[in-house]
Amino acid sequence: MNILELRNVTKRFGNFTAVDKVSFSVQKGKVLSLLGPSGCGKTTTLRLISGFENVDEGSILVSGKDVVNKRPYERNVGLLFQDYALFPHMSVEQNVAYGMKHRGFEKKLIPNRTNEMLELVKLIGFEKRKPGQLSGGQQQRVALARSLAISPEIILLDEPLSALDAKLRQELRFELKEILNTVNATTIVVTHDQEEAMSLGDSVIVMNEGKIIQEGHPTDIYEKPNSKFVAEFVGRSNWFNGNIVNKADDGILKIKTTEGFEFNILESLTPELSNGNYEICVRPERISLEKNEIIDEDSYINLLPGKVVDVAHLGPDIHTVIEVSNKRMIKVVEKYTGQVLKNNGTNVNLYFYPKDCIIVSSEK
Amino acid sequence: MKRSIDNFGTFFSVINILLAFIFLIFPIIVAIIMSFDGRSYLGLFPPPEYSLRWYERFFSDAYYLQGLKTSLIIAIIATVVSTTIGVSAAIGLDRYQGIGKQALESLFLSPLVVPAVVIGFALLMFFAALGIFDGFTRLLGGHLIITFPYTVRTTLAGLVGIRKSLTEAAMNLGATEGQAFWDVTFPLARTGIVAGSVFAFAFSMDDVAVSLFLTSPQTYTLPVAMISMMRTNFDLTIAAAAVILMTFTLCLIIILDWVIGLDKIIGKGVYRS
Repeated sequence: MNILELRNVTKRFGNFTAVDKVSFSVQKGKVLSLLGPSGCGKTTTLRLISGFENVDEGSILVSGKDVVNKRPYERNVGLLFQDYALFPHMSVEQNVAYGMKHRGFEKKLIPNRTNEMLELVKLIGFEKRKPGQLSGGQQQRVALARSLAISPEIILLDEPLSALDAKLRQELRFELKEILNTVNATTIVVTHDQEEAMSLGDSVIVMNEGKIIQEGHPTDIYEKPNSKFVAEFVGRSNWFNGNIVNKADDGILKIKTTEGFEFNILESLTPELSNGNYEICVRPERISLEKNEIIDEDSYINLLPGKVVDVAHLGPDIHTVIEVSNKRMIKVVEKYTGQVLKNNGTNVNLYFYPKDCIIVSSEK
Repeated sequence: MKRSIDNFGTFFSVINILLAFIFLIFPIIVAIIMSFDGRSYLGLFPPPEYSLRWYERFFSDAYYLQGLKTSLIIAIIATVVSTTIGVSAAIGLDRYQGIGKQALESLFLSPLVVPAVVIGFALLMFFAALGIFDGFTRLLGGHLIITFPYTVRTTLAGLVGIRKSLTEAAMNLGATEGQAFWDVTFPLARTGIVAGSVFAFAFSMDDVAVSLFLTSPQTYTLPVAMISMMRTNFDLTIAAAAVILMTFTLCLIIILDWVIGLDKIIGKGVYRS
């Protein structure tokens, strides 16, 4: 069942179209990530859903009912603000109970539910503290408890982890996911962080300039991006530009890049284009430097000779930069398994499969 | 060389503070001591004997008492009304993001800049043109105008620290806009609002320049009474009146300190989490 549905929602600020004919839906108990750079309209979308901005065109349905003309307090939508927006003059307890008081919860049930919520977010013992006396992570959990306490039909998280430092972020991401799972909350997470979007979301919507660029399962977004924008946004990438020169049998196309390299790519992954000019993306972790690892009958495997110019050992990964032609650098990421690091200047061969070439249109 | 410049700077500021102390506090201390002078005439400082005679004189003088009563009534009404209007205006200004915001703000604060004598004279003409000759109405009008900038200013300062997301969070949790104001905005801006009303009360009690133009023979404030007494029969009742006037303001500040803590008002002025 769709808890939330947006139909052709458009929002303009003067001449600027912040949200442009956006349509999507969220099913009960699912988590949807809205991913995009700042200013792409994702936060505006949240504000439209929660009623802090008025929709110019289109409709927003919560449990099948259009809420476009409803005030924020008439919608049963929970919003977790980026700055948490905890009331600084109220204790943790009062913050959590605030919504229940105004949503007409029976008075004698409120203390119980407050307690239940604080237990859920593991903040028992902090009831009397003021928000100013809590750490960033604790504040976030109070805000989450406060939003969940009123049992909203859908909960909207606006950059929930962006205010925290990197280490805490990972821990809290896991905790957040656990809490959302426990209460089976239907959720939208707005974020500019692809890891956050992909780890929290059952599905991901990538937005740019107010429009939805791609919607899908996190794996599909990463493996089959439909545009250069999406591919670049959801991970590291090496880019080539080229034209189809030859159509071989068994579904292999030969493409010639502007540098003069010839690659084999899969026809099934190649969109039909009028001008035949494509952008090819190869993820750094899909390139191998060791030939013996890829002994394979696949005669179409791509090979690119080059010279190591930089090696960085980043704990679990080794990042290598390889010059394949004059000033043309290729990034390669390998798992570190105790191998000897390569010296700068070493001649190496880059190997990658046709199936690992992501092909998108070079047209905008 | 560098060092001696620094040292001189420190020396200079210490001297400044000392001078300020002498010129601000010393005259007040003299006035307070003189008000307890036991002599029946105006003699030299310090008094050889002490008594409460000037206070007795004050409280048995109908002219002064009338002035004190008017002052208190005007100050209380002006404070309440000016705080109410000031807070509303400040909230409006704080939310309004369109053109003319700056101009509007300056306009509201303009009574701070215009000399009080000019305001007094202008109001006298204005009220006359309107056909209002009642002293009380004119005084109240004048006091509203001089106290209003303080309530607007301090409320605005109090609102600055309140993020918009707080009100929105309240509304998201089911509070109407009005409820969100009373639950969130008002308690957080309270120090600013209270500070404004204290200033309003103090300035209303204290004002001479505007009041002088707007009094009528029957309705006059205590400071005006003091000035006219000074001209007709100058004695130490004026010192007693001054101390009483001061006491009212001081009491207010002490109560305030006790209720919300003065350091909050003067120090930060804005409640921050």
